[in-house]
Parts: sequence; structure tokens; C-alpha cells
Amino acid sequence: MNQRSTSARALARSYRTERTLTFVVGLGAVLGAAAVFAVSFGLFGEFRARRPLMDPIAVDWLGGHATLARIVAIVLGVVLFVLGLRWFLRSLRPEGRPDLVLERSDNPLTVTSSAIANAVQADAETVGGVNRARARAVGDSEHPALRLTLWLREGTDVRQVWDELDTRVLRRARESLGIEVLPTAVRIELESGNRQRVV
Amino acid sequence: MRVFVRLLSTLLALAVAAGGLLLAVEVGWAWWRPGDSPLLVPWPPWRDRLAELGWDSPVVRLAAGIVAAAGLVLLLMSLSARRRDVRLHDPVSEVSVTTSPRSLARLVGHRVRAQDNVTGASVTASAKKIRVRATSRLEEENQIRPRLLEAVSSLLDEVPLLKRPKVSVVVDSPKDRR
Repeated sequence: MNQRSTSARALARSYRTERTLTFVVGLGAVLGAAAVFAVSFGLFGEFRARRPLMDPIAVDWLGGHATLARIVAIVLGVVLFVLGLRWFLRSLRPEGRPDLVLERSDNPLTVTSSAIANAVQADAETVGGVNRARARAVGDSEHPALRLTLWLREGTDVRQVWDELDTRVLRRARESLGIEVLPTAVRIELESGNRQRVV
Repeated sequence: MRVFVRLLSTLLALAVAAGGLLLAVEVGWAWWRPGDSPLLVPWPPWRDRLAELGWDSPVVRLAAGIVAAAGLVLLLMSLSARRRDVRLHDPVSEVSVTTSPRSLARLVGHRVRAQDNVTGASVTASAKKIRVRATSRLEEENQIRPRLLEAVSSLLDEVPLLKRPKVSVVVDSPKDRR
């Protein structure tokens, strides 16, 4: 994975898995209900529609293949349980705040995530037009990145902030850490002015 | 909406895990001790009830309707939980920048209200489209509209947006109502 995608991924927590799984469950519910409607309104024949839900033909078939049906049901249950539990833990897990490992040699050198965050935050707040800033480390320990949120005063030149950020704040962070690249996601928020709005 | 989908997804995950566990446990229990009553879920009466219900019974149709509606809600929510941030150009290769649609709207609104003869403006913005609704007491729409479009356009030249959004300007002026 390249660095650009690391910084782009650091922009916000990804909900792709949660969204996809919610979508799949919703799709399954809609398709299943559609199938029930199709049977119910006689799309597969009037006779089919009048038969009970627990169809004797299906029950007989299951009775004839009892061992297989039981094994399939137990395996399905275990698989659903494991997948559901993994999905649950994944959804509950907070977003990581990895420390930055600068040297992995005999005497490892680690910078804690809060140390980087506080230093960059204090530095970013000195940029002209920035009301307040918040920084935190995101990602995993293999691909650490910095997420920096800046709240700008209304009327601030966004372009100038954008330039100053890289030439001053982020360069200083990189230089003090002694690293070439520090993947960073910057979120710019423009605050509304305090003046009275005439509607 | 994104937080809500995350919450919903957590509950769905719990439901899937619980359902799977109950299925495995009940089937295993009924296999091991066929004569005993079920462990947790009283499923034999349910089975007998299902054997009486036909596919065309109103209860089945109602249940299918409820499931379809719930599924549609899940689909719509998962689709609407996408990111709405507005991407800006990367200043250098390992830095990515976004801003919120609200901030972009504020930026545009600030610029539009600074124009002459604009009494007020409301702006909605997304990464693809910016809608400006301005009011003016002194000028007619066809006089002021090109100027506002020009102002927004020059603002978008200054802000390094990754994709240039389309701009639509509507002017509400009492002079047009005569």
C-alpha cells in the first residue's frame, strides 16, 4: 500500500464493512420477503400457495436425510455464530491510536501517539486563521498516520492555511521525528462568524 | 447517519451471532436427546403452528411485508451513510485534505453576501453541486445573477477543490414580481 492511500484512509474511520454487511442483511430481507410474496400470491401455482409453510414434502425429505440435515444445521449455526461475533467485536472496537516506532533495532525508540498529537496540535494552532486544532494518530502500527482537524475563522484564506500547514507545521513534525514521510489527513472546518446574521 | 449505521450494524451482528448459536445448540440437543424438551427455544409448538399456516394466509403476507419494509430501511440507511466530505487537492504526496460540505457552503455564503446589493443568501453544498439562493431588493435576477455566478466561480478558482462542483444561483428579488 502506498503512502497516499494511507493518508487518504486516515481522513475518517472507514465504515465500509459495517455498511456492506448492513446492506447485505437488508437485501436478504427484501429478497426473502419477495420470494414469500411470490409463493403466497400463487406465482408458483395456486396449489403451492395453499400448502402449509411446514410443507409435508419438505419435512419428509428432511426426515429422510436427518443426519445430513442436522450436520448442515449445526455447521451453519456455528459459522453464523463465529462470523456474527467477529462482526460484533469489529463494530465495537475503537479506532486505533498507534504509537510511532522510529527505530526497531536493539534499543527501540517509540513516540507515543499522544506526544505526536499534542506537539502537532499546539503547532497547528499558531497558524494564522486557525481557531483551534485537534490532532490524533490513526491507523495501525504498520501504517500510522496523523489526522489533523482545523477549525478556521470565517473569512480565512483556505489556500494560505493549506500552504503554511505543509511548509511549517508538518515539516517541523517530520524533522523533529526524523522521518521522511508522515502520512497526514487534514480536515478543514470553517467556523461561522460571530456577527449577527440578518435574514 | 454513519454513526447510526454503525450502531445498527452492531445490533445486527449480535442478532446473527445469537441466531447461529441457538440454531447449533438446539439442533445438537435434539439430536443428542430426541425425547427431551428443547433447551432454550420452545420450537415444537412453533413448528406445529407453521404446519397449520398456508403460504397464502394473511399472517404470512403481513410478516413478509414487515420484513420487506425493515429490509428496505436497512438498504436505504446503508446507502445513505456514505462519506460526504469534499476532497481538496493534496498539497504534497502524503497529505490528504478534506473539508465538510457545511464549511464549503459557509465559504460560498460569505463570498455571496459580500457582493453589492445582496440582502441575504442561503447556500447548500456538496462535492458535486453548490446551490445558492440569494435575495436582492435593488436588482433584478438577470442583472445580479451573472455577477454572483462570477463571484462563486472566482472563489472556486481560489479553493483547491479536487473536483469543481456545479454552481446554480437563484435570485429572489421583489423587482421581478412586478
